[in-house]
Parts: sequence; C-alpha cells; structure tokens
Amino acid sequence: MSTQFAAKRLSKELSKISSSLPPGIELVSADNFEEWLLDIRVLDNNPLYQNQTYRLKFRFGSSYPIEPPEVVFVKLPDRPIPMHPHIYSNGIICLDLLGQQGWSPVQNVESVCMSLQSMLTGNSKNERPPGDEEFVRGNRLRPKDIEFYYHDNDV
Amino acid sequence: MPPPNTPEGGVTAPTSPPASPTPSQPTSPLTRSEIAELSLPKSSILELDYQSIEYIGPVDETLLCPICRTPFHSPITTPCGHTFCAGCINRALELQSVCPIDRQPINKTRDYCRLPLIVKDQLDRLKVKCPNKGCDHECLREHLEGHYGRRCEFTPVRCPESSCTKYIARRDAKAENGCLHQEFTCRFCEKVLTWEECDDHYDYSCNGATARCEECGKQVMRHRLGKHLSQDCPEAEARCKWHAAGCKVADKRRVVQEHEHSGCTFEVISRLIDQRAEDREMINDLTGRLARLEAASSRRRRPRERREPHNESSLINGSPLNLLSTEATGASNLTRNDDMSPSSGFADDDGAWASPEDYMLAQFERIEGQLEGIRKKMMEMDAHQSLGLLQTTARVNEQLAELGSKVGVLNMHTTWLMNMQRQSHTQQRTASTSTGPPSAGISHAGDTSTTRAVSSETGVRYQAGSRRSSSDGRGEHPPRL
Ligand SMILES: [Zn+2]
Ligand SMILES: [Zn+2]
Ligand SMILES: [Zn+2]
Ligand SMILES: [Zn+2]
Ligand SMILES: [Zn+2]
Ligand SMILES: [Zn+2]
Ligand SMILES: [Zn+2]
Repeated sequence: MSTQFAAKRLSKELSKISSSLPPGIELVSADNFEEWLLDIRVLDNNPLYQNQTYRLKFRFGSSYPIEPPEVVFVKLPDRPIPMHPHIYSNGIICLDLLGQQGWSPVQNVESVCMSLQSMLTGNSKNERPPGDEEFVRGNRLRPKDIEFYYHDNDV
Repeated sequence: MPPPNTPEGGVTAPTSPPASPTPSQPTSPLTRSEIAELSLPKSSILELDYQSIEYIGPVDETLLCPICRTPFHSPITTPCGHTFCAGCINRALELQSVCPIDRQPINKTRDYCRLPLIVKDQLDRLKVKCPNKGCDHECLREHLEGHYGRRCEFTPVRCPESSCTKYIARRDAKAENGCLHQEFTCRFCEKVLTWEECDDHYDYSCNGATARCEECGKQVMRHRLGKHLSQDCPEAEARCKWHAAGCKVADKRRVVQEHEHSGCTFEVISRLIDQRAEDREMINDLTGRLARLEAASSRRRRPRERREPHNESSLINGSPLNLLSTEATGASNLTRNDDMSPSSGFADDDGAWASPEDYMLAQFERIEGQLEGIRKKMMEMDAHQSLGLLQTTARVNEQLAELGSKVGVLNMHTTWLMNMQRQSHTQQRTASTSTGPPSAGISHAGDTSTTRAVSSETGVRYQAGSRRSSSDGRGEHPPRL
C-alpha cells in the first residue's frame, strides 16, 4: 500500500478534529503528519487534576494507523505531568491501548485523548508507577520500545 | 490541450533555445483515437488510489472504512460482521490476527465473506471527482475506473523512455516527446524544472517575461497570453460552457460565467448527452464481449459434440476400446488443437461459470440490468425537466394572479367613478326639478340615502375584486392606484 496511507488518514482526522472536538480536548498544533500537540483537561471535580491542563504529544509513524502512535505527556511551565500510577514523571504513559497488543487501527487521535481523559477521571491514587525514579533516570528508550507490564486491564 | 512545452501565440523569439533535447512540438490537440492509441496496457498505469479520491457531497458514515476513514474500496466482511477495505484489513491482520473492532480472532482471507450487493450498489453510486491533477471530470464511482484507466488524459502512465521509471500524464506520454523528466532551465526565470512541471510553472509560478492583457489589464506570461484570452480572461469574448448542447449565450467571460453559475438550461441536456455517450460505450463494450463469448462458446460446443460419440462407444462396449483408441486419440488430438485455445481463454476470463450457457445468461442479465439503469436515469432526467418547467410556470402563474388583482382594482375604481358620475347626474336632475342650490356637484354634501346606496354597491364590487387581489379592510373606500 502507498506510503501516503498515514498522511491521508491523518488529514481526514485533522479535518474532523479542527471542526469539532469533545469538551476538554483541544488541538494545539498539527503542522505536519508526524507530530501533533493536544491539550486535555479532566472535566469532573477530581481533586488530583482540578484546574489543570495537560499537554499531549502524538508522534505518528508511516504505518499509522496500523501501528499505534507514540503518545506522551509533555512538561511545560504551565503544563505539568499528571499524577497517575500509570504515568511516569517523564510523561511516558503505560496504557495497553497504546501498545502493539492493545492498539487497534480503528482508534484515532480523538479516541486516544478520550481514553486518557477517562483514565485520569477514574483515578484516585496520588502516586507514580512503582520504580518511577529509577525508570526515569535510566530510560533512554522510546516509549514504543519499552515492554510494559500492564498492571491491570481496567485502565 | 497541447503538450506542456508548446509556446502559444504571442511568443517573442526565445532568448536562447532550451539546452536539453527539445521534444517535438505538435500543436494540434489530441483526437479521441490518438488518446485511445495512447492507452497502454493496464500495468503501465499508476494504480488508481481510492484513498485520494474526492467525493462530491456527504458520504454516509456507515460507508466509511474504520481504518482508512474513506468509503470502502473492495470491501470484505469479517465473520464477526465488521466491514473493512480488503487492503486495510489485510494490513491490520499482518500485525495481529484479530478484528480491529472487537478483537475476535480472524483467519486471514479464509474467513472473509462478501458484502451485500446493496452496499456495493451504494458505493458504486457515490459521486466522485477524478483524482488526476488537471482533470475536472466528475462521475459515479463505478465509472471512475473506466475513466481513469482508459479515457482520462491526465492519468499517470509509465514514461515512454524505457530507462525512466517515473510516471507522466497520459497526454504527454508520447514516444516522440521522449522523457519529459529531464531537467531544463526556464528561459524566462532561469529556474531549473522538468518538462513535466513546465505547464504548471508557466501557468502559475513563473515570474519571467510577462505581458499585459489588453482586455483585463492583468500581467500574464507573454507566451501564455493566448491561453489567458481563450480560457481565463474575464473580459475576453467567451461562449457558454454548454454551447455544444445548443446554448447560444456568448459574451464577456465574466458575464458568461455568471450565466453558467446561475444555471444554464442546457446543462441538463449536456449531461444527458454525456450520459448517453457513456451508456452507449458501455453497451458497445458489452456487445463486443458478448460476441466474443458467443464465438468462443460455439467453437467450444462443436468439438464437444464430435467427441461425445467416442466417449459413449468406449463406455458401452469396453472391449473395442483398444480398437477405437488409435482413432480416438487421433481425433481428440485434432479436436483438442482447435478447441484448447478458446476454452482456455474462456476459463481465464471467468473460471467460475459452470457452462458457457450460464455465463451467457449472466451476461444477458447484466445487460438487462444496465438497460434498466439507463431507463431509470432517463426517467429521473424527465422528472428533473418537468420540475424545472413547473417552477417556471409557477412564476408565470404568480405574475398572472398579480395582473388579475390589478385589473380588479381598476374595475373598482371605474365603478366608483361611474357611481360618482351617476350620483352627480341625479343630484343635478333633482336640483333642476326642485330648484334647489344648483352647485351640489360631486361634493359629499348630497343626501345620505344615496351615499349609503353607493357605498354599499362599491362594497359588493370590491369584494368581487378582492377575491383576486386578496387585500382587505379597505372596502369602504375605493383604493388608490
Ligand atoms: Zn469484528
Ligand atoms: Zn479502508
Ligand atoms: Zn480524469
Ligand atoms: Zn521519464
Ligand atoms: Zn520560469
Ligand atoms: Zn485578460
Ligand atoms: Zn448557457
């Protein structure tokens, strides 16, 4: 199949996203078909995430959407990394949806954002994954090359 | 259209001839047969990319492939009931052998089911634009392959130069043009470009030698002035896009364009003509195929009849088999020779048919279906036309009604004036007989009984008029015109 597959699919997504997005999700930039930035907010009153906006960075390979995009939280002065037992303090997310096994080509940027939104909404633990400090210190790998052990399936 | 590098009228002698080999420059546009000659075997065409097709109008969400988000292309349905483009699901299954939607395991290709024909029909009927750059052809999706594969001048085909692996628009792919992928320097702006890009460059991006258009004052490339005048200039004389269908409108281009946009009556007719041409082509194609099949099947039947007696005899009496065998092999050798080629060709065409008769029947059915489609389209056109007629008559009717009401008002006014006159006459007569004041005249000081009678009469008249004018509340006084 053509190498343009990912770009074409992404342009379809982009035209939809730029006209409407669910509440709490905002497109920050999508200047090319390799990297997009989006902001998400948690909509309910979860005290862990109240009044905070988080920046997500999507990176798409040429086999998107057959292969998952790489999604991480980005730290900026006004954009912290959300506290969550599946989110490392360097922004790397441990979510089976984004792994080779859990990903499905029918997912898209919008659905990923919504999944992350609800993953935060449902959390009440103010903690990082076990071994966070070590992981962040030692990790030189790209998120997609990390073999996560998915702690449970309800995230 | 002329090949990309053809200079047009108004060219001043080029300052220097292009450095790279100049392809020959025929100036006459391609005729149909020339285009037909150019259509090379299928493999030499860049395959139609369904993902980049632009659809006209909204497409039902249910017809979109969940993977590529475009309307299905050769869709298949998984055993769990989900539908994808064949290409998309195959790619997805390379990674994981589960349905992308519900993660049911899928055994690649063996488990696929065909899609209900009604969905295929819906997909076929989607209106699309030709994806080739430069072509503005629009058609139903089922006809796009035909247009793209055989007729479109802009379809990328293999470069005629055998050593070049690039593709080039069909209209430019001519042996005498050679490879248009070689680079040369634009003689106007000194940019390096290929012959293929040349057209685009001259039309849109070159800022070299320009000239002012006499008609509209715009700066255009000097040697493109002719093209500008004949195709773009808003002030130049132009004819309606549908003049071939009979429209007589001709004026400055912007006026004509306005006419075209505001709806030319001949547009429908022109579409009808196009449709008919396409239908006729399809029918010709089918008739040709049918004839070929008929020939093939009749050739096939003949040898079979000849062979049957041999088979029977060898079955019935088993012993003379040896005796017959030499004769039989000889005969079958002969028959096989002239029988093998059509039958193998037939099997290649459509291996799935049990017998040529079945195949023929299916073909007949298809033609019948297509004719039915044509008939339906004609009826649709008809309905369209009568709707248009209805709309114009409605306007005329409205105007008639308005005129009617005006006549009613006039009527009333006359009645009122006549009554006035009658009244003044009576008053004059009574004045003369009773020797009252002689100057009662038209003044309203006359006796009340007469006035009442008059007003009631006008009231009645007015009502008769108001039935048409549909204005009301002014019955007491005659309206002003
Ligand atoms: Zn399924
Ligand atoms: Zn698809
Ligand atoms: Zn075309
Ligand atoms: Zn070439
Ligand atoms: Zn130039
Ligand atoms: Zn002009
Ligand atoms: Zn016209």
